[in-house]
Amino acid sequence: MPEKGMIKATDLFERVVHWMLAGSCILLFITGLGMMFRELNFIGSFMGGLVGLKYVHNFTGIIFIVSLILATRMWWREAGRFEFPDDLEWIKQAGGYLWHVDHVAEAGKYNAGQKMFFLTVVGCGALMGVTGLIMWFPMGLPMGLVRWMYPLHAFGFVVLFAFFFVHLYLGTIGSPGSLPAMLNGWVTRAWAKTQHPKWLKEMEAAGKLEVYGEENKEAVSH
Amino acid sequence: MMSASEVIKLIDTTRCTACRGCQVACKQWNELPGLRTKNRGSYQNPPDLGWNTWTLIRFQEHVNEKGTFKWLFRKDGCMHCTDAGCVKVCPSGALYHTEYGTVGIKKNLCIGCKECIAACPFEIPRYNSRTDKITKCDLCLTRLQANQQPACVKSCPTGALSIGPKDKMIAAAYDRVKVLGGDANVYGDKFLGGTHVLYVLSEKPEVYDKLPKNPSIPLSVTVWKDWLKPLSWIAGGGVIAGSLLHYILHGPKRPYPEADQGDHAERGE
Ligand code: HEM
Ligand code: SF4
Ligand code: SF4
Ligand code: SF4
Repeated sequence: MPEKGMIKATDLFERVVHWMLAGSCILLFITGLGMMFRELNFIGSFMGGLVGLKYVHNFTGIIFIVSLILATRMWWREAGRFEFPDDLEWIKQAGGYLWHVDHVAEAGKYNAGQKMFFLTVVGCGALMGVTGLIMWFPMGLPMGLVRWMYPLHAFGFVVLFAFFFVHLYLGTIGSPGSLPAMLNGWVTRAWAKTQHPKWLKEMEAAGKLEVYGEENKEAVSH
Repeated sequence: MMSASEVIKLIDTTRCTACRGCQVACKQWNELPGLRTKNRGSYQNPPDLGWNTWTLIRFQEHVNEKGTFKWLFRKDGCMHCTDAGCVKVCPSGALYHTEYGTVGIKKNLCIGCKECIAACPFEIPRYNSRTDKITKCDLCLTRLQANQQPACVKSCPTGALSIGPKDKMIAAAYDRVKVLGGDANVYGDKFLGGTHVLYVLSEKPEVYDKLPKNPSIPLSVTVWKDWLKPLSWIAGGGVIAGSLLHYILHGPKRPYPEADQGDHAERGE
């Protein structure tokens, strides 16, 4: 539960879209793996056999595509574009995650690493959607095109699967204080100041910051 | 006649008269319906393989360099590859190698994903939208298991079709080619690990309609199954291991203590 003085990092819409995206993506991982590795075919037994699993995968794909479109529209402004020189500086320091850095470059609402993750999800997510739809309905399409959809779909999976674990780690134990941003939306001031100092300053300067227990008519949401 | 070791079905196109007995026998034995088709001005009927047509005589009018006209008849159907693209991609194990080296299909396992269609160099697997499953020739597996010849072989009146142990059939094919001379050649033993259907062709392979000169497993299948598939768990596992290592060696990134200001700010966790 939020305490007085905590800062609102995300609104309800953001969190709902995030978990739609995450939930559908994870279900796609699991069902996709069930088809990719014959040893994992048993995952289908919870879905009425492998045929059921295939349909769960296909229709979850639709939810994923919808979530991806919503997420892209919602986060493009904050996470879709790099801002120089801060983002470049951040990348050079690897955000201070890998070696000691005295002063980490100031990050806005999302740091350069998060932007890279966001853009990867958008790019590979779109690739998964397009290749997946063609794989679902390949009849009548040129064979030379259909053939390459499978390795492209697998490529997108390799990238998303690997990035997902980085994201999972940094969203939980790797960066304590982050998870509440996507649970109830309230984070501590210390966390915001450490992770997204520029954003905090800008929001305060614009008077848009929502602080728990304080009124703010300027506060904006997505 | 047929022990449980590798067999080869030999198709000697030079002996085929295009009576299409095999086509009918296949339909009859496998209870495949004949669907109404239109006259397209060719004896080749139906026009293509389909979920209800696992084998088909292709009719081709051929004029050679000397200007001589010739009918080419080729019995098309599954080649029963040793390196079978279809088996390699099938996610359910519906397509599999039988005890005879042929490629069988367990209908109940097929999920209708159509992955095998794009993986076969010969465009053999066909989709039945009514059952949502793939069909193709299984070289009459149940007949082989009952010591019987495949229905198409049994029906062939000219001896163009025969079946037997692998080595014997390869030798027979080469003997026949020697007798024929000219451009005659054996097709099937030199690629895809050797197929379990072998042709004796009277012309060079490239002369025939819909017959790839040098079939191979599509590059897309190799990239997908041999490179990216192992990479997926290597990358995933590597990242998990890396994250744990980071947690232990470097430690998580906590909010800086100096960012703690005011009485209501707290440390992360
Ligand atoms: C259970 C797994 C997940 C957890 C615990 C989680 C947690 C989080 C958290 C805490 C944030 C906010 C970070 C911040 O504001 O600093 C976030 C953002 C985000 N999440 Fe997730 N997430 C998960 C799965 C996913 C999946 C599967 C996807 C998509 C494939 C995804 C896509 C995103 C995106 C695009 C953002 C925007 C900010 C960024 O790029 O970091 N998340 N997630
Ligand atoms: S010809 Fe096609 S369907 Fe038949 S075994 Fe070879 S790859 Fe599979
Ligand atoms: S359609 Fe059926 S036989 Fe073909 S790859 Fe998919 S599950 Fe296997
Ligand atoms: S071997 Fe059997 S299934 Fe295959 S073409 Fe001949 S009759 Fe048809």
